[in-house]
Amino acid sequence: MRFEGPAAVAARREELARKDPDVRTLRVCGGPGCLASGSRELLAALKEAAVASGLDPAKRRISFTGCLGLCERGPLLELDPEGHFLRGVAPSDAAEVVGTALGEGKLVPRLSPNPESPEKESLEFYGPQKRLIMRRFGKIDPESFDDYLATGGYEALVISLFESGPAETLRRVAESGLRGRGGGGFPAGLKWKAMTGAKGTPRYVLANGDEGDPGAFMNRSLMEGDPLAVVEGLTIGAFALGAERGIIYVRNEYPLSVARLEKAIAGARARGLLGENILGTDFSFDLSVTEGGGAFVCGESTALMASIEGREGTPRVKYVRSTEAGLWDKPTVLQNVETWANVPLIAANGPEWFKGIGAKGNPGTKVFSLAGETRNTGLVELPLGTKVGVLVNVVGGGVRKGRRFKAIQSGGPSGGCLPESALELPLDFDHLTEAGAMMGSGGIIVMDDLSCPVDVARYFTGFLAEESCGKCVPCREALPVLREVLSDLTRGSGRKGDTDFLEKQAGLLKETALCGLGQSAANPVLSTIRHFREEYLEHESGYCRSGRCRGLYVPVIDPGACRACGSCQKVCPAGAVGGKKKEKRTVAAGKCVGCGACLKACAFFAIRAERKEHVG
Amino acid sequence: MSGERSGERFRDVLRGTIDGKTVVARRGATVLETAESVGIRIPTLCHREGLPPDGNCRLCVVETKGKLVISCMFPVREDGFAILTQSPGVREARRFVLSLMLNRAPKAPAILKLAGEYGAGADPRFSRDPDNCVRCGRCVRACRANRTEAIALVGRGFERSVSGPFEKPPPDCVGCLSCAFVCPTGNILYSERDGKRRIWDKEFRLVPCPECGTPVFTEEQIRFLGEKASGLCPECGRRRLASALRNAEPLSGGSRGF
Ligand SMILES: Cc1cc2nc3c(=O)[nH]c(=O)nc-3n(C[C@H](O)[C@H](O)[C@H](O)COP(=O)(O)O)c2cc1C
Ligand code: SF4
Ligand code: FES
Repeated sequence: MRFEGPAAVAARREELARKDPDVRTLRVCGGPGCLASGSRELLAALKEAAVASGLDPAKRRISFTGCLGLCERGPLLELDPEGHFLRGVAPSDAAEVVGTALGEGKLVPRLSPNPESPEKESLEFYGPQKRLIMRRFGKIDPESFDDYLATGGYEALVISLFESGPAETLRRVAESGLRGRGGGGFPAGLKWKAMTGAKGTPRYVLANGDEGDPGAFMNRSLMEGDPLAVVEGLTIGAFALGAERGIIYVRNEYPLSVARLEKAIAGARARGLLGENILGTDFSFDLSVTEGGGAFVCGESTALMASIEGREGTPRVKYVRSTEAGLWDKPTVLQNVETWANVPLIAANGPEWFKGIGAKGNPGTKVFSLAGETRNTGLVELPLGTKVGVLVNVVGGGVRKGRRFKAIQSGGPSGGCLPESALELPLDFDHLTEAGAMMGSGGIIVMDDLSCPVDVARYFTGFLAEESCGKCVPCREALPVLREVLSDLTRGSGRKGDTDFLEKQAGLLKETALCGLGQSAANPVLSTIRHFREEYLEHESGYCRSGRCRGLYVPVIDPGACRACGSCQKVCPAGAVGGKKKEKRTVAAGKCVGCGACLKACAFFAIRAERKEHVG
Repeated sequence: MSGERSGERFRDVLRGTIDGKTVVARRGATVLETAESVGIRIPTLCHREGLPPDGNCRLCVVETKGKLVISCMFPVREDGFAILTQSPGVREARRFVLSLMLNRAPKAPAILKLAGEYGAGADPRFSRDPDNCVRCGRCVRACRANRTEAIALVGRGFERSVSGPFEKPPPDCVGCLSCAFVCPTGNILYSERDGKRRIWDKEFRLVPCPECGTPVFTEEQIRFLGEKASGLCPECGRRRLASALRNAEPLSGGSRGF
C-alpha cells in the first residue's frame, strides 16, 4: 500500500492506465447546486437501474464527481470517456440514461443542451472558460485515490521531492506570481519567502476553507470535487517551507467537505504521502482538518488562528506577520484552499507556464460563482484578466429576459458594485480594486436595471453589521449607523446630506477598524456612492429610479411602447392597473402599493419608475 | 560590559521623531510608551497599565507613513520612525470613535471630556439604549488577569456586552471589585453596607482586616486567593511587607539598602 519511492507511484499510475479500456463511467455532478436539485436521488436511481439492467459493475460505473458548473440546469451528468454532457436529468430518466448512455455509449438527445455537439465545451457557457482548478471535476470520483493518481495526481510532489528540492520549489511558486485566492491577492511567494528567515518550530501551513460569503461555493466545490489537490498543494508547500504540520480550516456548515478531506488525508497517509518519511525521504509532514467557528469573521487570519488554538474566533491586533508569529506564535503560512490547489500545477509545470495563463501581474485562473440576472449562472473558471463583459454576455449568456445590464457586484459582502463601464474591465485583482470593488472569494452577482444600488448597499451593510464580531468600536458602532441611514434612504425617510454623511463615515470606518472585516465593510457603501451617486441623491429626496424601493416611485406606462398585452394588469396585487382587453394600460398612482410587479412583468419595457411628484 | 554587548544595546535603541521632536526609543517599545517617555500625551481608553493590551477602542491612533495605527500596540521597529499624534487625520479619527462611543455612554465624564477636546458629539439619530458601557473589555481583562474569569464579553456585533455566563450573576465572581476599579465609564456599580458588598447582583460578606479592622476583602476572595491571602487590608499589608523587608538578612554579597 505504502509507496516507498517515486518509482512505486509511477508504476501504480501505469497500472491504472493499463486497466480495461472498455470501462465507461457515468459521472453525476455532486456539486452543491446539483445536490440541492436532487443529484443524490438521481445517483441512487441510476445505480438501481444499473443493477436492474444487469450491466457489469466493473466496466459500467456510476459515481459522483465534482461540480460541473452549470448548476442552475442541474442535476448534471457527464459520460466518461464519450464526454457527453446531460442536464436536467431526473430519477425518472434513470432507466433510459443507464440503457442508452452507460450501456451503449450513445447520446440521449432530449437531455442534451446541444445534441449536434454533445460535449459541454461546445456550449457558450464553457467556451471562454479554462478549467485548471476544476480540471478533475467531471473526470474523477473525488473519493477515489486511484482516480486522483491516474489523472496526474502526485506527479508534482514527486518532482518537488526528487528533482527540484525545497529552494527550487519555493522559487517556482515565487516566480510564478501566484496571488492569494482568498480575497486580498497578496503574492504567495512574498509570504513564503518571509517564512524562510523565520525562527521557531514547528512551522505550520494552513489552508483557509472557511468560505463565509453568503451564497459562495467555490471553495466548497474544490474541497468536495478534488480534495487531494488541496492536500498535495499543502504537502508541496510544507516541503518548500520546512513545515511539519498542516491544518485545513473548513467552514462548519460543510460536513461533506470535511469528510472528503479527511478521507483524502487518510488515503495519502496510508500510501506514505503524508506522515513520517514521505516517499522514503527524510521529509515528514502531517495534516488534519479543523471545523470552523461558525462565523464569517472566523475566515480572517488572526481569528482563524485563535479559533484553531481553541479560543474565541475574534480578530486580534497584529503588527507582526504570521510568517514570524502565527499559529501558537510559530512561523505560519496561511493560504486559501484554491491558492494551495494551484501549487501542484506550478510545482510541476514551472512558473513560465503559469505566467502564460491569465494577465500580466495576475497569472492563472480564478474560480468565480456567477449569480444574479444572467441567463446562465453557476460555477465558472476563467483566466484572470478576462473581460467582465465576456463573463456576463458569453458565459452568462447576457441578462435574462432581455433586460438592461446595470452593474456587477463583485467580491462578496465586502466587495463593491461597478457600473456598465465595468463590462470592459479585466477581471483581475488590480482592476477590480482600482474600480472600488474587489476580487474577494470570486463571487459575481449580475444586476439588471431593476436593481437599486442603494438597496444593494443596505443589504450587504446589514449582513456585515450582523457578522461584525463587535470587538472594536468603529465596526461595532458605525455599521449599524450606516445600515440605519441606508434603510432610511430606501424607505423614503432619508435626509438631505445623507450621501455625504455615509461617504464620510464609511471612509473613517475603513481607516480605523481593527481587522479586514471592518476595513472592507465600507466597500459596499463607498463603491455604490462612487458609481451611482446620482441615485443616492435621488433617494435623499424620496425617489428610486430602479423601481425597487417601495413607495419611492410610481410606475408609469409609456403609451408608445405598451402593446396592450395586459401582463402588468394580471400581476398587480392592488388592482391599480386600468384598461380593457386590447387597450393600452394605465396605472392609477393612488392605488399603487409600489411592489414593482408590473415593472418586472412587462416584456416590452414600457413601464418606467417615475418620481411620485411628477405623477398627478 | 564588553564591546559586543554594548553594540547589541546600541542596535536596540532607535531614533526617530514624534510630532517633529527627536526621540529615542527602545526597539519593540510601543509608540504610546515612547511618546509618554517624552511627555507627549496620547488619549487612551481601552488601554490600561497592568492589563494585556487589546486595541479595541482605536482612540490612541497616530499616523505613520500616511497610515493610522494604534499607538498602544504598534511597536517602534525601525530607525528614523516618524509619528504624528495630532495630524488632522488622527484628530478626525479620534472624533469619529468618540462620537460613536458617545452613542453608548453619553454621560460618562471621561468620554465627555475627550469628546470636548476633539469636538465630538453624540447624534440623537443614532443613539439607541445607551447603557454607559463602551465594551472596552477592561473589566473582563482585569477579571482574567486575576484568574477568576467570572465575566466575559458575549454576543457579537452591536449586541456584544459584558456578562456572566447565561446573563446570570457570575458564579465565579469573588467580589474583588477589580472590574469596577478599571472601568473607564464608572459603569460597574457596587455597594457596601452592614459588612456586606453587592456587585453583579451577588452579595458578599466582608471580612475585617485582622490588624486594623477595615473590611476590604470578601470571604470568597480570601478563599480564592488561598494561601496567598493574608487577609490584611492593602494599607496594613504594605506596612507589614515594609517591616519584613527591613528586618530581612541581606543577601550574601549583595548590598540592599532600604
Ligand atoms: C472578515 C474576513 C473574512 C475572511 N474570510 C476568508 C475566507 O473565508 N477564506 C479565505 O481564504 N480567506 C478569507 N479571508 C482572508 C484571510 O484573512 C487571508 O487573507 C487569506 O486566507 C490568505 O490566503 P490567500 O492569500 O491565499 O488568499 C477573510 C478576511 C476577512 C477580513
Ligand atoms: S473590524 Fe469588526 S470584525 Fe474586525 S475586530 Fe473590529 S468589530 Fe471585530
Ligand atoms: S487605547 Fe489603544 S486602542 Fe484603545
